[in-house]
Amino acid sequence: MKLLTCPLNGQRNITEFTYGGEYHPMPDHQQATSREWAEHVFFHDNSAGVVIEWWCHSASSYWFLAERNTISDQILRTFPADEIFRERIDFNPTPADQGERK
Amino acid sequence: MLSTLATDALRRSQLYRRHMAMDATFTTLGDSVVVSHYASEDETKQAQHLGLADLSTLPRTGFKGLGTPDWALDLGIELPARPNRALLQSDGTLVARLSQSELLLASNLNGLSESIANATQAELAERVYSLPRSDSHSWLVLCGSQAAETLAKVCGVDLRPHKFADGEIAQTSIAKINGVIVRNDLGETLSYCIFSDSSSVEFLWDSLLDAMAEFEGAAVGIQALRDCR
Amino acid sequence: MSNNNRLAPPFGSLINREQPLSFSFEKQSYKGFAGDNIASALAANQQWLLSRSFKYHRPRGLLTMAGQDANTMIQLPSDPNALADRIALSEGLEVMGQNYSGSLNRDSGALLGLFSRFLPVGFYYKAFFKPAGMWEKWALLIRKKAGLGVINQDYQPEYYDKQYQFYDVAVIGAGPAGLSAALEAAKSGGEVLLVDENASLGGSLNYSRLDAEGTAARELRQRLVAEVEASANITAMTSATCNGWFADNWLPIICGKRLYKVRAKQTILCVGSMEQQAVFHSNDLPGVIMSSAAQRLIHLYGVRPGKAAVVVTGNNDGYGAALDLLDAGVEVKAIIDLRKRPEYDAVAQYAVSKGLKIKTGCAVYAANKDRSGLHLGSVEVREIISQGICATPTSGKGEIIDCDTLCMSVGYTPTYQLVCQGGGQLSYDDESSMFTLTNCPQDCQIAGSVNSHWLLNDVMADAKRAAIIATNALELTTETVPETIALSQQQSPNFGWPIFAHPKGKEFVDFDEDLQIADIINATKDGYEHIQLVKRYSTCGMGPSQGRHSALATARLVAAATNRTVAQTGVTTARPPFSAEHLAHSAGRSFYPAQRSNMHYRHLEAGAQMLQAGAWYRPAYYGSADKRQDWINSEVNNVRNNVGLVDVSTLGGLEVRGPDAPEFLNRFYTFGFLKQPVGKARYALLTNEAGVVIDDGVACRFSEQHYYVTATTGGVGNVYQSMLKWNAQWRLDVDIANVTSAYSAVNIAGPNARKVLAKVCSDIDLDSEAFPYMGVREGTVAGIAARVIRVGFVGELGYEVHIPQHCGEALWDALIAAGAEFDIKPFGIEAQRILRLEKGHIIIGQDTDAMSNPAEVQMSWAIAKQKPFFVGSRSIQELNKAPLKRSLIGFVINDLKAPIPLESHLVLDGDRMTGRVTSCNYSPTLGKAVGLAYVEPDKTEAGSHFTIKSSGAVMVDAEAVNLPFYDPETLRQEL
Repeated sequence: MKLLTCPLNGQRNITEFTYGGEYHPMPDHQQATSREWAEHVFFHDNSAGVVIEWWCHSASSYWFLAERNTISDQILRTFPADEIFRERIDFNPTPADQGERK
Repeated sequence: MLSTLATDALRRSQLYRRHMAMDATFTTLGDSVVVSHYASEDETKQAQHLGLADLSTLPRTGFKGLGTPDWALDLGIELPARPNRALLQSDGTLVARLSQSELLLASNLNGLSESIANATQAELAERVYSLPRSDSHSWLVLCGSQAAETLAKVCGVDLRPHKFADGEIAQTSIAKINGVIVRNDLGETLSYCIFSDSSSVEFLWDSLLDAMAEFEGAAVGIQALRDCR
Repeated sequence: MSNNNRLAPPFGSLINREQPLSFSFEKQSYKGFAGDNIASALAANQQWLLSRSFKYHRPRGLLTMAGQDANTMIQLPSDPNALADRIALSEGLEVMGQNYSGSLNRDSGALLGLFSRFLPVGFYYKAFFKPAGMWEKWALLIRKKAGLGVINQDYQPEYYDKQYQFYDVAVIGAGPAGLSAALEAAKSGGEVLLVDENASLGGSLNYSRLDAEGTAARELRQRLVAEVEASANITAMTSATCNGWFADNWLPIICGKRLYKVRAKQTILCVGSMEQQAVFHSNDLPGVIMSSAAQRLIHLYGVRPGKAAVVVTGNNDGYGAALDLLDAGVEVKAIIDLRKRPEYDAVAQYAVSKGLKIKTGCAVYAANKDRSGLHLGSVEVREIISQGICATPTSGKGEIIDCDTLCMSVGYTPTYQLVCQGGGQLSYDDESSMFTLTNCPQDCQIAGSVNSHWLLNDVMADAKRAAIIATNALELTTETVPETIALSQQQSPNFGWPIFAHPKGKEFVDFDEDLQIADIINATKDGYEHIQLVKRYSTCGMGPSQGRHSALATARLVAAATNRTVAQTGVTTARPPFSAEHLAHSAGRSFYPAQRSNMHYRHLEAGAQMLQAGAWYRPAYYGSADKRQDWINSEVNNVRNNVGLVDVSTLGGLEVRGPDAPEFLNRFYTFGFLKQPVGKARYALLTNEAGVVIDDGVACRFSEQHYYVTATTGGVGNVYQSMLKWNAQWRLDVDIANVTSAYSAVNIAGPNARKVLAKVCSDIDLDSEAFPYMGVREGTVAGIAARVIRVGFVGELGYEVHIPQHCGEALWDALIAAGAEFDIKPFGIEAQRILRLEKGHIIIGQDTDAMSNPAEVQMSWAIAKQKPFFVGSRSIQELNKAPLKRSLIGFVINDLKAPIPLESHLVLDGDRMTGRVTSCNYSPTLGKAVGLAYVEPDKTEAGSHFTIKSSGAVMVDAEAVNLPFYDPETLRQEL
């Protein structure tokens, strides 16, 4: 069984974790073409090489990211999500939305 | 913010019926009913060897949110230096830091805790959110020289005393349920607090007693824990 | 029978002659000693025949004495296919041979051997698969003939369990390499585990001959073992098998009835090598054994291997075995050395000096039976003239030497399994005729003979070196790593071609599967040239010993038959487990978590039938199982007409708090939450990024910055994780907490619900105008602080009361007492399912599947159109552009006699499947079966009919109706 190092809890058996899928940035949900959006939702890069993945330490519900080499199955490093997500994300309301906002 | 809900009814453990079946003698601490001892009045030796106690009815609470560390400091709570460390307060309250901004507070063995009382009465600062830890989590204590060997049958983290110091915390899986293990020795006696999902406490209790059997472990009351201290 | 074939001490280091044991084999009584295994005890009683072979039912006896072969598979009362040379003898043990018809000594199945030339490799494929259906008939007969042991169907489960262990360095194998590695690693102060599958530490030092006098090995063993025992930081486990290598040095170690799950930071595999057989005619006769097996018998168990022995050797180790045989009082008739010009070492020199008959450049061409037909009687020796070819003497026969024992010493194969499981590469070195291992996984090394070292000093130096590398990597030491130990230039212990074909065949390459030289050659002739294909076609290496003794010979044969080098033919893959393990080792003491609500025992006391939904125990209904439907119907009626109480503690509960709480819910769920008034609940539908409905609940706004959101019992864990994952990206100023277990909850429902609740709740104005449908309040119920939510899952006036977990039982008691005058009754989840179905409420996961989008399940009303974003928003937009593919609608079955359809029964249009039923039940309220089904979007109009293929393939007519079935104006829940 593999080991995975949680940035908060340290090294644990991988059974303590939930896989959260490949990380890739969400395209602008209003501007993206249908195809781009479908690819975002349904396609995975599945590349041979280093990928970034979401992992959650189940016991503490802590989400973080891992760089893993899919060829060697080596986990190169793990890091907190705020390394990528540094600030608050907002979605631009369409003009019609203004009424709903207080 | 909603305060932690309370009731004036006497608290009795979800394991109450199991304790009754094991011939427990109960004692009342504040509004909690706790097992004083089981059939034998002197369980100290048992606790030093391998004992399991149910402290689920004793007071505890939790807080989290970015404002928590500063707010707790203002209340006079001494904070563990880093996440996954616990610190005993001068009043005997165990303060476990589960992340940078999350604390779990558990009372002393008399069911008293000035820290908990202060924290629950104090107004919550911005970005401080209370957590109903008394209800969400059960509280078991596994103690004695064979405790680490027993835990190795249910938990995949190395909890042996020389690898897991007093005050260390492991948030992990215990018998396949999630929980928080805090090493909190009782005097010279090795001891682990296990905080876990309250609805699973019967399962966990049974699983631990089963794992303890080969080492001649047994359930003990709070009196034995106090004697070890 | 008695123990009459024993040697005096010091032979028999493992047995305790003070402790005799009685046991039986084939219902005959025998005596052995504590420390014996079954095979050694039987050998001590001259019982050499242990079993019959798999295909031809040939007599078989012990071969390796190391648990490496299938020849010793015997039947224990509760354990088929047990290895006689592995299982420790115990008092009263009842042992039987297996795989024979009639008796072990006279097996009528052995006649099959006469037909062996009609049973070539691939025979089953070729003979029985055509015409179609043939195989089913033949299979019964063949399986009966070619079976192994018998399962005891009355077996009573025994207690097996597991334990985790942690080490800095795990050393697998405790021979000279393992002992040296462990001792060196222990110097670092690290925690060292030393594991050996044998009963005694020391490996070959227990039985091999290192010097002419035959004392050096035992002396070295004694010294090393004493040092190991004196090392406080070495944990030594014997009779323990490391049964696999998994990622990051995760080692399953089986010892007795426990599976140790060992995590080592560094692993050193000192697993040694396995002696190989010579391949010649009748090399499977009992009495034909490995040299090391003879040495194990003599030294470990004090058993004389026979009276007169021949040694066939391709190296110097055979000479050591010959000396041991002499010491044990066995007459050594001859040493047949396959080498033309042997290079003798000191031990061999000494053997030569004893004046033994030595024939070099010769082979054992055939083994002959004795008069019993069950044991070796003589061997035929011929001169080797070229690779695998023996001279044919003018007499037509070679020299016949009478003997009851033939010891084979022709080479070794590294114990490659664990290394290969870790991705190690097995290759063949044509120079030394040996398999070699490379490419060990990270933090894992091999040392000793598994690493191609066969001289003792090299073995020990290699092991020490590995230990230093390991402790350096752990930063426990900073020693200079010694140079790589050069491979010895001395003659390889492997003889390149100890394989001699015979016109009558029966030169066994694979004992497990009775495969002969021709079988392997024929497989290549049938076109299977890669070793992997040869393996699958011939089944070579697929038997219980997993190629331990066939891989090397097979690789050589395939290479020669296809004119390639062994390196070019490739080798087969090794997968866990290393050796057969009991299912109980994997299954033993598994944990099946169970969750119980605080009211659990009240349900039991009220006669509930409990069922487990996920981990939660929940009351299905209250009453005896024989009147199940009556109880459920009466519970439904009581809610519709009076008042019922259901435990909903299992419902998920999430606190969403903070300045951005409304914004967060607005993004996460499909509805709008920004303008939700405080004191109100809103339906919360959750879709994933693909627009698929994955959960639902209600969001209760208790203050501007505080929502309490419910989620489904099975879904809350995922919902909570999903919330945290999204907010790890959005970084909104909000706190999310899963408080599911912190709350006990009930739903009190029915026209009398308010009257009952009012008796125990004075601080909340329950009046319908003050506290309307979808209102939420905080107050006390029966003196317990409570969150009260006016929702109507079952379609009646109802209140969900959420209170601190530990008060559940008290609340239950209070409400049952308060409701007594109204005849309140508890109801279970069966009644609740019917009630919600009558009301047309869907259950996510039952009425939805992995493709269900909101429009399909008539939930478009729950989608806020005017929001900048929510998780499924863009996908739902896309889905809405395309025409609907299916619709979830309500239907009724008007024919009261028709079998009520079940979940997943098909909706048919002629022969065409057009949908399926998701929920269906008899509705006590409507007096007929009602249900939900996916149908084609043009079949949804009320009054249209469609066909459901119900139980017993009965076609049932269903009529589409508008939802809900019950109370379409929803007056009842708003009372």
